[in-house]
Amino acid sequence: MEKVLEVVDLRVYYEIPQGTVKAVDGVDLDVFKGEILGVAGESGSGKSTLALTIAGLLRPPAKVVSGKVLFKGVDILKLGNDELRSIRGRKIGIIFQDPVTYLNPIYTVGFQVGEVFEAHRGGKVSKYFSEVINLFKAVRIGDPERRVYTYPHQLSGGMKQRVLISMAIAEKPELIVADEPTSALDVTIQAEIVELLNEIRKELNTSVVFITHDLALLLEIADRIAVMYAGKLVEVGRAYEIYKDPLHPYTKALISTLRYERKKRPTPIKGSIPSLINPPPGCRFHPRCPYVMPKCSQVDPKLSSVGGRLVSCLLVGDGGGGS
Amino acid sequence: MTLARYLIRRVCHSIPTLIGALLFIFILVRVLPGDPARLIAGPEALEEDVQRIREQLGLNKPIYIQFVDYVSTILRGDFGRSIKFGTPVINEILFRLPYTIALALVAEVIAVSVALPLGILSALKPNSKVSYITSVISLIGASTPSFWIALILIYVFSVSLKLLPSSGAESPRHIVLPAITLSLLLMGNLTRITRSSVIEVLSSNHVLTAVAKGLKDRVVIMRHVLKNALIPIITIMGLQVGNLLGGAIITETVFAWPGIGSLLIDAIFFRDYILIQGIILFMVLTFIIINIVVDVIYAYVDPRIRDVLWRMS
Amino acid sequence: MEDELILKKVSEARRKQLTSMWVVFKSNRVAYASLYVLAGILLLVVIGFIYTPYNPYEFDLSKARQPPSPQHLLGTDELGRDILSRLMVGGRYTVGISFISVLLGSLIGSILGLISGFFGGRVDTVIQRVVDVALAFPTSLLAIALMVSLGPGVLSLIMAISISTFPVYTRLVRGVVLQVINEDYIAAVKLLGRSSWYIIFKHVLPNVSSPIIVQTSYYLGFSILLASALGFLGLGIPPPTPEWGSMVGTGRVYLFSSPHIVVFPGLFITATALSFNLIGDGLRDALDPKSRMFLRRF
Repeated sequence: MEKVLEVVDLRVYYEIPQGTVKAVDGVDLDVFKGEILGVAGESGSGKSTLALTIAGLLRPPAKVVSGKVLFKGVDILKLGNDELRSIRGRKIGIIFQDPVTYLNPIYTVGFQVGEVFEAHRGGKVSKYFSEVINLFKAVRIGDPERRVYTYPHQLSGGMKQRVLISMAIAEKPELIVADEPTSALDVTIQAEIVELLNEIRKELNTSVVFITHDLALLLEIADRIAVMYAGKLVEVGRAYEIYKDPLHPYTKALISTLRYERKKRPTPIKGSIPSLINPPPGCRFHPRCPYVMPKCSQVDPKLSSVGGRLVSCLLVGDGGGGS
Repeated sequence: MTLARYLIRRVCHSIPTLIGALLFIFILVRVLPGDPARLIAGPEALEEDVQRIREQLGLNKPIYIQFVDYVSTILRGDFGRSIKFGTPVINEILFRLPYTIALALVAEVIAVSVALPLGILSALKPNSKVSYITSVISLIGASTPSFWIALILIYVFSVSLKLLPSSGAESPRHIVLPAITLSLLLMGNLTRITRSSVIEVLSSNHVLTAVAKGLKDRVVIMRHVLKNALIPIITIMGLQVGNLLGGAIITETVFAWPGIGSLLIDAIFFRDYILIQGIILFMVLTFIIINIVVDVIYAYVDPRIRDVLWRMS
Repeated sequence: MEDELILKKVSEARRKQLTSMWVVFKSNRVAYASLYVLAGILLLVVIGFIYTPYNPYEFDLSKARQPPSPQHLLGTDELGRDILSRLMVGGRYTVGISFISVLLGSLIGSILGLISGFFGGRVDTVIQRVVDVALAFPTSLLAIALMVSLGPGVLSLIMAISISTFPVYTRLVRGVVLQVINEDYIAAVKLLGRSSWYIIFKHVLPNVSSPIIVQTSYYLGFSILLASALGFLGLGIPPPTPEWGSMVGTGRVYLFSSPHIVVFPGLFITATALSFNLIGDGLRDALDPKSRMFLRRF
């Protein structure tokens, strides 16, 4: 299968007065054409930083310390500003989490979506309004002819999110990064948006990197899932297989919170997310792991292949690399 | 349509405040030691003259009636007669008002032309030379006493270099030093506000969206940063009129600039309480009106507020 | 047992938070340096209580208007008094009064804000109206008007500045109170039977303390300028008290011949106000991490 994106040993750190935040600390990831890859992680796992890096939108104080992000073979981290600009919005689209703050309140939504066309085709935004209307129809925004002239605050959360989606798909990109696109919405709207994304993926044959803390959501929509913890990936594999047979202890714990028998309460994972400035030595999950061994605090396992799955755990794989 | 409604609503809201301010100013003068009637009459006047004046001014009526009288005369535009000059207070004010307005305008123009570009540039290029200069200017404006800066400017430009005049208002050159002094005060605040407003907008999410669309940097800055940042800046500029009024008092005094600020200080030293009252009232009125205007402009500019108003009406 | 553990963790977290705030503050070198400058000035003032090179009130016309010299480090003023001594003593007034006034203003303002936000209703409306009236005056104008009415003197100055500064605090605190009491967890706390005082101390105060601290630091700088301006205009403390602003005011006529009489007091005023402002900036960055963290650059 054709690879659309290849992330190689990516490390992204932030320097703040309190120390260095290692938000992404050695991540290897592949995204294939037309697939939906889910990235699951709690807040503080570094997933948003990963999203921004993939989309070429990283800003200081975040810095790429090492690694490559190969989009169709080209390392976008090495590209100049102009080349990056031609990719943004056209080859790689991004959908953000909170439609309220990600839309400019003083311009109409039609104008803001039209800007995507203006950026890549030139001319005035106003001449693209009919295309914007078509886009709105595609993302199922009702009464699109009128809606293009409305301001963001006049729309509901779900509609604002559709506006953001239409912005992302306007130039039919080959990769869409969706950073928690449903987290700010009602559950019922969530389902609609997810459904919409699936359709878009099928229609445009575009790849989607779907980032969220909601593992249940991913299990429904994603083809493959990558589980992220404290800046590293702990497990990568096919969605259904991960659900049936989670290998990494963290994944196991996450899955167990999803399925529990009616009489028993879901057991939370003890402990709390580690600081990204001072992560625990060795395996980052070991302080909270129910299967912890003495080795775990000394060796930091790498992703290794275990029967079609990638896991970084000393218990399961050999933890020695080789994906 | 709805903007007019908002205007009326704002004005109505200000009325109790205005009355409160009137009350405060009224009490201010009444609390003073000494007998105003005797003050007006002069120390040598006879008791019956003092009594006559007292009746004239209505000083022997109960205090609340005095207040009502006061308010009604104000409403008629009568601010009373100056004790020192004998002329209507409102005339004195109006005569000197153009000077203050001229000074304020020039100072504001200087301040805006320096502060806005500097503030914007220093926000876009932090840790650069521009940023450093901006910080210095903003600190000077916010930390140095304006009367001291005025004196230093006088010493350098009037005494040593003999380039610019230091007092009075005879020629256009006379406005230079006072305007610069006043503008420094404004700049201190304005640079800081501009810079922090732009910084805040720069780090807001909709800017990220704009970049993610592939728009050119220049377009992002002009459309999505500056226009958004300008809204609070303009609001603050309007409110700065308060600083202008307060700062003018000192600046006009040091430079003997014949505006209403120095008139107030003169009145204080002549113990001309009616004049004092009138000037303070005038300044407060101006301030309140400007605040209302600023609110309306803000409502006009920000579509979110416009809609809230529309729904309210 | 678990409760104790939780409390320990909370106070540990608190301590870590305070340490990290201090680290951020320290990293701002200008703000940190200002602490030293301010300390230096305050030291001079404190020393002034026990010792000054000369008597600040004793004048000797034969020694009038002398420029700085080894005998008089900062020179003498128009009446032959040693300027350094006068500055050391005058600091009590300029700085001390500003301190007291702002503290008073912040106290009164915050309490009023608490009452206003908490009890709402008529009380809130009344307090809000008073604040509106106070804010309808440009601050310096309000202070001047109050000084005219109250007459010169230390007490009047303190009152004038406190009254000019309290409204901002009231608005500030009331805003935070309204925000906090609308949170859902407050309803829960109330259901658990906790008294209003508990809510105030445990929930409102922590949220309100950082904006108050930052505002106070700025107001301290501002009130130094205000107090000295009033002194300059002759509306503050009457001479011969060596308030820094009035020193500039009385020395003004000799600007041409002996500028040092005007320059040094102004320098002290500037240094003090500057330090407060820089410290305020540093505090704001340290206490509100969001404001500086993600600087955007293209």
